[in-house]
Amino acid sequence: MQTVIQVSLSGHSKAFQLEEDAYTALHAYLERARSRLKRDPDYEEVLRDLEQSIGEKLAHSLRAENRVISRREVQVVLDEIGAVNTGNGDTADTAQTDRPRRLCRIEEGKWIFGVCQGLAVYSGIAVEWVRAIFVVVTVFTGGIPILIYLVLMFALPVVHTYDEYNASLRTHSGAM
Amino acid sequence: MDSEKFITLRKGLLEFLILGIVSSGRVYVADMMQRLSATDFATQEGTLYPLLSKMRRDQLVDYEWQESETGPPRKYYKLAANGRKQLAEFREYWKSLTSLIDELGKPSCKQ
Repeated sequence: MQTVIQVSLSGHSKAFQLEEDAYTALHAYLERARSRLKRDPDYEEVLRDLEQSIGEKLAHSLRAENRVISRREVQVVLDEIGAVNTGNGDTADTAQTDRPRRLCRIEEGKWIFGVCQGLAVYSGIAVEWVRAIFVVVTVFTGGIPILIYLVLMFALPVVHTYDEYNASLRTHSGAM
Repeated sequence: MDSEKFITLRKGLLEFLILGIVSSGRVYVADMMQRLSATDFATQEGTLYPLLSKMRRDQLVDYEWQESETGPPRKYYKLAANGRKQLAEFREYWKSLTSLIDELGKPSCKQ
């Protein structure tokens, strides 16, 4: 089963059909663009320009076929367009020097509920190690980590992708 | 040429290069990227659109919509009055800068 999300992009009369994680990636890109452009008096127009351009590239990759667009295709287009850069230095690279960390569940690439991925990003340890440690400790302690996992599963906020996680850190740090 | 100093220099120059490209007639954003793609100034839409919107506010460039055969209408940019003036000033200034830089390296004539 697959969730398909219909998206209309500025200037394009025909809606695009996106896989759920393709939509998540696109949404995260546009949200980040919006937050970076918030000081631009014409930010709505720039967002429309970007949307239109994304649409043109997606339409080009569809070649008039009527099919669902994958996460990979969206990522290729977004990489081609590049992160919004306002020239004020408020891009990802400058914001990452002293960024705060947040413990979240990350759904992109998750095995169960993404708790290990969240712990991995938070701690800077590779997710494979976090999972391995989790399994080993579970075996030796008779399942205590499973309880911890369940608690974290309910307690932690959820983000869908790594992009979204990074974007949330930036808005978080911007608000402080 | 990837050191921080050169990157900063190129960032500042991009706007003038865009003026130069737009001075050749009505151009679409894809044309600008195409023109810059093989240079040190290769750029992406994520940078160009915010820059063009700022340049339009400064009345350096203007655009008009034109129908496209393959998709929605596109914005075609052209120079506005301020842009023409600023490009001419920039070209003059650049010439004087390059001759200054050349001069500075040479031993002085008066010994």
